[in-house]
Amino acid sequence: MGRFSFRGGVHPDDGKRLTESKEIQEYISRGEMVYPLSQHIGAPARPLVKRGDRVLAGQLIAEAGGFVSANIHASVSGTVKAIEKRLTSGGGMEDSIVVENDGTFEAVDYSEEIRPLEELSREDVIRIIRDAGVVGMGGAGFPTDVKLSPKNREEIDCIIVNGAECEPYLTSDYRRMMEEPEKLAAGLCIVLGLFPGARGIIAIEDNKPAAICRLKELTKDEPRITVNRMKTKYPQGAERQLIYANTGRYVNSYMLPADAGCIVHNVDTIMSIYEAVAERKPLTTRVVTVTGDCIANPGNFLVRLGTSYRELVEAAGGFTRKPAKLISGGPMMGRALISLDVPVVKGTSAILALSHDDVADKEPSACIKCGKCVSVCPGRVMPNLLADLAEAHDEEGFLANEGMECCECGCCSYVCPARRHLTQTIAGTRKQVLAKRKRG
Amino acid sequence: MAEETVMKKTPSTAKPAEEKSVNKEKESLPAISASPHIRKGPTTTGIMADVLIALVPAAAMGIYNFGYRAALMILICITGCMVFEYLSGLLLRRPGNTVRDLSAAVTGMLLALNLPVDLPYWMALLGCLFGIVVVKQLFGGIGQNFMNPALAARCFLVMSFVGPMTHFTYDAVTTATPLYVLRTQGVGNIDLWSMFIGKEAGTIGETSAAALLLGALYLLFRGVIRLTIPASYIGTFSLLILIYGLTEKMNAEELFRYTVAHVTSGGLILGACYMATDYTTSPITGKGRIVYGILLGLLTFFFRIFGSNTEGVSYAIIIGNLLVPMIEMVTKPKAFGHGYEKKSLSENRGFLPPLVTDEEGKPVADRSEKKNSPLRILISICLIALLAGGLLGAVYALTKAPIEETANRKKQESYRAVMSEATDYIETDDLEKENAMLEKEGFAGVTLEIRALAMKEDEPVGNIWVVTTHEGYAGDIRMAVGIRDGRVTGVEMLSIGETAGLGLEARDNPDFTAQYVDKNADYFTVTKNSPQEEDQIQAITGATITSGAVTNAVNAALAADRFLQSDSFVQEGGSEDE
Repeated sequence: MGRFSFRGGVHPDDGKRLTESKEIQEYISRGEMVYPLSQHIGAPARPLVKRGDRVLAGQLIAEAGGFVSANIHASVSGTVKAIEKRLTSGGGMEDSIVVENDGTFEAVDYSEEIRPLEELSREDVIRIIRDAGVVGMGGAGFPTDVKLSPKNREEIDCIIVNGAECEPYLTSDYRRMMEEPEKLAAGLCIVLGLFPGARGIIAIEDNKPAAICRLKELTKDEPRITVNRMKTKYPQGAERQLIYANTGRYVNSYMLPADAGCIVHNVDTIMSIYEAVAERKPLTTRVVTVTGDCIANPGNFLVRLGTSYRELVEAAGGFTRKPAKLISGGPMMGRALISLDVPVVKGTSAILALSHDDVADKEPSACIKCGKCVSVCPGRVMPNLLADLAEAHDEEGFLANEGMECCECGCCSYVCPARRHLTQTIAGTRKQVLAKRKRG
Repeated sequence: MAEETVMKKTPSTAKPAEEKSVNKEKESLPAISASPHIRKGPTTTGIMADVLIALVPAAAMGIYNFGYRAALMILICITGCMVFEYLSGLLLRRPGNTVRDLSAAVTGMLLALNLPVDLPYWMALLGCLFGIVVVKQLFGGIGQNFMNPALAARCFLVMSFVGPMTHFTYDAVTTATPLYVLRTQGVGNIDLWSMFIGKEAGTIGETSAAALLLGALYLLFRGVIRLTIPASYIGTFSLLILIYGLTEKMNAEELFRYTVAHVTSGGLILGACYMATDYTTSPITGKGRIVYGILLGLLTFFFRIFGSNTEGVSYAIIIGNLLVPMIEMVTKPKAFGHGYEKKSLSENRGFLPPLVTDEEGKPVADRSEKKNSPLRILISICLIALLAGGLLGAVYALTKAPIEETANRKKQESYRAVMSEATDYIETDDLEKENAMLEKEGFAGVTLEIRALAMKEDEPVGNIWVVTTHEGYAGDIRMAVGIRDGRVTGVEMLSIGETAGLGLEARDNPDFTAQYVDKNADYFTVTKNSPQEEDQIQAITGATITSGAVTNAVNAALAADRFLQSDSFVQEGGSEDE
């Protein structure tokens, strides 16, 4: 009672104790910096520099390539070494601007442009956010300015800050809430300024009581902001589940959160909005948790975007033993890495090195119809059935059984006694359907 | 612009040290797979092992109750099923070795527990063959069978060999099953306790409700099964049996005994907890499981009460199995937010209250947060207490009458036992004077409770004293002592909690209490040797305290009787007797 929640979900061992008490430390990047042109959903950015150019920290080096796209800024000063395909954490080769870091961190000074919030119109604020290249930093990378300009602006009555951080091992949001809560509150106020009729909700899982206390104390005089204590459960931070838990409203795959009057932002995103609007700092850094049982000194690092994962792992003391699996992001939804030579991008939340790979433990076997996947599914679909249909390439049946309502959270695969790759199979067919919809 | 800067391969400027480590890594890349990267919970094999473990108590009780043949039967069925699973897997070219997932072992175990102990082994093996090969493997192996293989095998055997499959023995004596007794002789001849622990005729594994429930608790605790199916199944069945009992005009005690007997007898608990919960053949949806349980309860009730056979669990589950796809179809869950894309925002407001503003349109503080106010907590605690109290009261009210009735009947029986010639007994519990006298006389550990005047054809023949002594080894001993003309006519224990085999012999060994009867003695003493005098009582071996307590209580009753006869304050009956 008294806690906000949803139906379904799982309780994985959260692994947060490794880093939850580690203060954020700034990491000074040394090696070459790689800026993929696609760090967001939508069109890739267009490069504005060429090989041999000198760039400064904070300088715009690639501009948004369309409406749904985002600017990219250099995070160090140095020389553009190349614009070429480089491996990214997603596993693909992406066009990237490579900058040789000169180590001086000479930066563009935007401080003259700082103006008090009162003098900024709504359009100004959104333009500033767009210029700063802010995108959703929870992983999806949706351009924030687009999210803040919904068609039904007047209907938006709820801005939710996603501080659930339900993915195991991740503590970057928690540390930011602990160390810079004022920025979060101020950032939320900036967003609320865009939606005069909206209330702000900061949703935090109850395994982070200190952060809940701190933010409650900080926002007690702000009548529009409430801090909600969420039940600790994965995937509490999934957008649709988060909206439901905090407002009782439903959003399905045909809808946007705005259709339910809600806009959800990640903690890091709100912080970046604050830094963009109040400090005129473009998005060039983020906090990354480097953790796992193979990391010598797990910790939370303030990292310049473009820094190689390898550098960051070394900053955390390197490996104590050979990792069986390297993951970019959390263990539930993160991506397995084939190499550490990939850059930190706007959506990088963690580097996780695990000594044991659960997935390799057992080959998938036949479904025994235990129904565990059905009972944990937050999307309330039948994963076993969807996976069967996906394996049979029955797209019609897949859609008829609401396969598109799957949010790929991984709960079904996590509990499956037959160790079937349910999420993977369903996700594959979802991608095909989405691609077809795009084309058609 | 992009074209100008296009991509020439730049030579790698990485340091040699780094290069080395890259090369090293390439030798053995870390594993790649799609998310999620962690797994938890038991595997199929683990679940099957848990079911086997849960069935161990039932199997052990079966072996204890029915002897070595039960053990052999279990062994043969498990081995048989696993061998058939392996062979059919080979023949049907199934990928992977499904013997290792232990599902065949579970089938074998369940089948054995569903067979009568005297069934010829070859018939059991035939059952294994049918269950594993025909029902399971021919339909696609694990997860594909449309019926529970063990139950299908049992039904196949019942149809093929009615005689041996319905021939039940207990202690090597052919015995009727409790369900048969229930139907033919009514509830009076049922010993609920022996049914609970399984000292009854039946199949190897079904008789001991206690062992089965223990295993079911383990499965619940391990999360292998959920309460949904057993609860809705047994709940529905019990309710129907209660209603049926009411229509048969049973009184409260009979009703209670009848329901408990029906639930603990036959294969109901084995079926409800272990076979109705079989994953493959039960609905996958939460709602479907409730529907399925109710359906099984209904079917079992009709089969048991109105069917030609006394047992109905296996057929009920088998028929239920066949209906599972249909149940799943109608209970398919609605996806999260299904249909909301067509609804307007006003229909999707949820519980979030609108922002409260003051006159100027400025928002004012309102904490919409879900809060546990002290009042709310108080109210919920009160409600819970009320509910618990109500339940307790209901149980008390329901059981009060039968319990009192039983106690009363027991007392009447003991009266008859200690003074057989009497036909009627007039009770009084106004014994203040007598109790005060006893205290004075040194019988402090004994309390007189009731004096019953024994009447024969309207003539008093003696007194029966119900006394409680607090001097027992393990608490109070309540007993009835019949006295006629100053001589003991009989001693009968009403409630005694002494150690079995020692103090309890006072109740169970009639030779002990017989020592008091018809002796010319005012005061008995206890001796450990064989008694020489009339007023000597030989103690129960190893239970001198019990013997002393009982003897002292008899002496107290004798003293009270003498007091009654001598006292001027005498009741009509007593004076006439003089």
